[in-house]
Amino acid sequence: MTWLPETAGGSDPFSRVFALRPNLYEAWREFEGLLWRDDRVDPNVLALCQLRLAQRNGARWLPGSAAPAVDEAKLADLDAWWKSEHFTPLEKACLRFAEQYALDPSGIGDDDARPVTEALGDAGTVAFVEALAIFDGFTRFCAMLDIVPEGDAQ
Amino acid sequence: MIAPRVKAPRTESRDPIQASALAHQPELLGAFLRLYGTLWSRGEVDQFTKEMARIRNARTVNCPICKATRFAGARAEGLSEAIVDEIRDGYSTSDLAPRHKAVLAWVDAFLAEPGGGHEVLRKQLLEHYTPAQIVELTAGIALFMGFSKIAVSLGGLPDEIPVHEQPTPDVP
Repeated sequence: MTWLPETAGGSDPFSRVFALRPNLYEAWREFEGLLWRDDRVDPNVLALCQLRLAQRNGARWLPGSAAPAVDEAKLADLDAWWKSEHFTPLEKACLRFAEQYALDPSGIGDDDARPVTEALGDAGTVAFVEALAIFDGFTRFCAMLDIVPEGDAQ
Repeated sequence: MIAPRVKAPRTESRDPIQASALAHQPELLGAFLRLYGTLWSRGEVDQFTKEMARIRNARTVNCPICKATRFAGARAEGLSEAIVDEIRDGYSTSDLAPRHKAVLAWVDAFLAEPGGGHEVLRKQLLEHYTPAQIVELTAGIALFMGFSKIAVSLGGLPDEIPVHEQPTPDVP
């Protein structure tokens, strides 16, 4: 489940690792849970971005609890979303932004950012990049600590 | 300089985070400040070590604000500018303590190759830190990276900011 020699109590591998620092984990859960409220950014778009960053970061566990299920056709094409017909223009714009955010945010061009900021507005864009911060950061957290599903340890 | 992609809302606050574009989402901002304050002031890892990790991330992501900020708690614990100068490429041959070199290498691995395994580095960390402290450090790096990337991606940052001290974040 992880290479750490001890874990805490919890309902899944991620919580059993993160709960080694219980007050920090509780504060994280509060923040992460707010990201999925659908009055900020469409949770379906966020779920696509979270999954894509998990793929790129080598995470085998998705941290957090509120992500909606991703459409099967989109899931199948997610690692080559740019050439798929299953994604809407906004989904593609958000995925493009998310990938560049994770790789090098200084490389996000105005042409990449504009479709996102125009569609989401100021408040929505802020919510979107805060979600990317958590998705990028904590899929890396899972990869670094080798948090994997039960029975899937290497 | 990248033009700002989101304008900060009008606010009376002089706090650099609360007066930023993040104020467009006050509920998220409040939750983030509780999370960040818990990390910094209610943790098990000394602030000196966390500040070294934060600055290593800042220099790699190249966030001008993050690079220029120094938290007061770490300075009180002895993190001088002479030590900060050693948080650069080549730190592995510096006079920094082995436990700090291990954390800087963990930051580099986190940023460059999170799925890379890093077995030797894992052993080094376990020589110096408890599992709970490793979790705190790794979560801290995730937050440092995530929010420095927010600052860069939203644009509007000056190219350079003078080094300045700020109070260590605490739970509001």
